[in-house]
Amino acid sequence: MEYFEPKSIGDALSLLSKHGAEAKVIAGGTDVMVDIKFKEEPGALVNIKKIPSLAGITERGGSLRIGALTTIRDIETSALVREKLPVLWDACRQFASLQVRNTATIGGNICRASPSGESLTPLLVLEANAILAFSDGERSEPFKTFFQGPGKSAAGAKGLLTEVDIPIPPAGSKGVYLKHAVRGAMDIAMVGVAVMLTPDAGKNNAQDVRIGLGAVGPTPLRAPKTEALLKGKALTAALIKEAGALAATEASPITDQRSSAENRRWIVEALTRRGLEQTWKAATGKEVA
Amino acid sequence: MKKQLNLNVNGQDYEVEVEANRLLLQVLRDTLDLTGTKEGCSIGVCGACSVILDGRLVSSCLTLAAGCEGKKIETIEGLAKDGKLHPLQQAFIEYGGFQCGICTPGQIMAAKSLLDENPKPSEEEVKEWMSGNLCRCTGYYKILESVMAVVDGKTDPNYAFRKRETTAKIQSLDVYKSVAKTSSD
Ligand SMILES: Cc1cc2nc3c(=O)[nH]c(=O)nc-3n(C[C@H](O)[C@H](O)[C@H](O)COP(=O)(O)OP(=O)(O)OC[C@H]3O[C@@H](n4cnc5c(N)ncnc54)[C@H](O)[C@@H]3O)c2cc1C
Ligand code: FES
Ligand code: FES
Repeated sequence: MEYFEPKSIGDALSLLSKHGAEAKVIAGGTDVMVDIKFKEEPGALVNIKKIPSLAGITERGGSLRIGALTTIRDIETSALVREKLPVLWDACRQFASLQVRNTATIGGNICRASPSGESLTPLLVLEANAILAFSDGERSEPFKTFFQGPGKSAAGAKGLLTEVDIPIPPAGSKGVYLKHAVRGAMDIAMVGVAVMLTPDAGKNNAQDVRIGLGAVGPTPLRAPKTEALLKGKALTAALIKEAGALAATEASPITDQRSSAENRRWIVEALTRRGLEQTWKAATGKEVA
Repeated sequence: MKKQLNLNVNGQDYEVEVEANRLLLQVLRDTLDLTGTKEGCSIGVCGACSVILDGRLVSSCLTLAAGCEGKKIETIEGLAKDGKLHPLQQAFIEYGGFQCGICTPGQIMAAKSLLDENPKPSEEEVKEWMSGNLCRCTGYYKILESVMAVVDGKTDPNYAFRKRETTAKIQSLDVYKSVAKTSSD
């Protein structure tokens, strides 16, 4: 196996074009090293950790920019993320062990494109964009179209994710991420649900509701019908019940060693209800009637 | 592809030549003979291989050695100074923080990284911080007790001496002598 430590994005991109399908990008390596052990070793490993300026969290013109090499731990401990993007913060603190969070990068979590990846549904509901670098230039790709299937993304084999651009939600909006796994944070999610709710000015209705579903489809999903059902309404127990049931129909889970498809739909229903209750209460100060 | 590496482990520089795919865990144990760091699951799940890299706790089984150049690596071997155990090592002995011992270097490095950052954590904070370090033997209470003993300054520098005294006292009891006699008969 050949091993490279490019010092710039340009150098990394030329290594990726030169080595083609043989090449593999490595950031934190928490996915790549396990793959090397159980699957196969790539012909060339391109370690991007030495490229300066790819890590860090900055606020810029109504957005938070998070560099691809920023670790999950740095996101979890960022006061800025906790305040402005609680749904992402909530996901990062339920992400594996400290050892893994200290090593794993957000860029790796995204480019791995696993439907259960913890940061993915928060990025979908935040309507964030991936900033991608290719040898012929840079482009911004919304996460809505970025994920193409398990392990497949718009970054492809020749692109690099450099940054994530996340519009900061309106001040009153609240978000939660709920993870269901056998051993809590330590385990891969059986189902993950991200909910973001923005109240109207009088805090009487949900002006905007966004729901992201993880580990229940080939990519992380939004639940557009459920969101439309809730938009502009005051959340009541009956409405939340209906929303949970509808969200379960919007998921398209499979049966695997972690859970049956049927069980996953039940969990989507329960977590959606719970997420709506929590965000409604946090955003309006009212219990669900 | 072989790679020449300069690794700084416990404040000492080592020149090594290793294959580019070697893990930090393998280089520590097999090349540098620092076998204190243990291998459990090999896939980042158990914490046995935990070391501190530039102040952060990581699993050395998921870490490429080649990526560690220019970083400070701390392992269990670096804890005792001038023949004196680190307070955490001392506490694990006094409070029975281990049985088989395979998880122990990882547990102690995890606890050290916490105390380096926050010398006065609560029990809850210790549990949360160390939840990536599995132990099949102790049931965790003794580990928690050992770490909290350091936090609360309850380790005893005269522990070994006291222990010898207690052993002698037990051995002088008639009941001990009669049991010892029956079992040797
Ligand atoms: C014990 C354990 C527990 C885990 N628990 C969780 C969990 O609870 N939740 C969760 O979501 N994940 C979990 N994971 C998976 C993994 O830690 C995450 O997916 C992590 O975020 C990957 O980041 P990394 O930097 O380590 O990626 P790497 O392993 O370095 O890379 C991952 C993939 O992304 C590509 N890549 C990385 N960076 C870039 C970039 N900038 N541009 C283009 N491609 C790139 C790589 O080529 C590779 O295909 C766990 C892993 C382990 C070993
Ligand atoms: S051996 Fe590294 S975490 Fe288990
Ligand atoms: S002491 Fe045996 S595994 Fe912890």
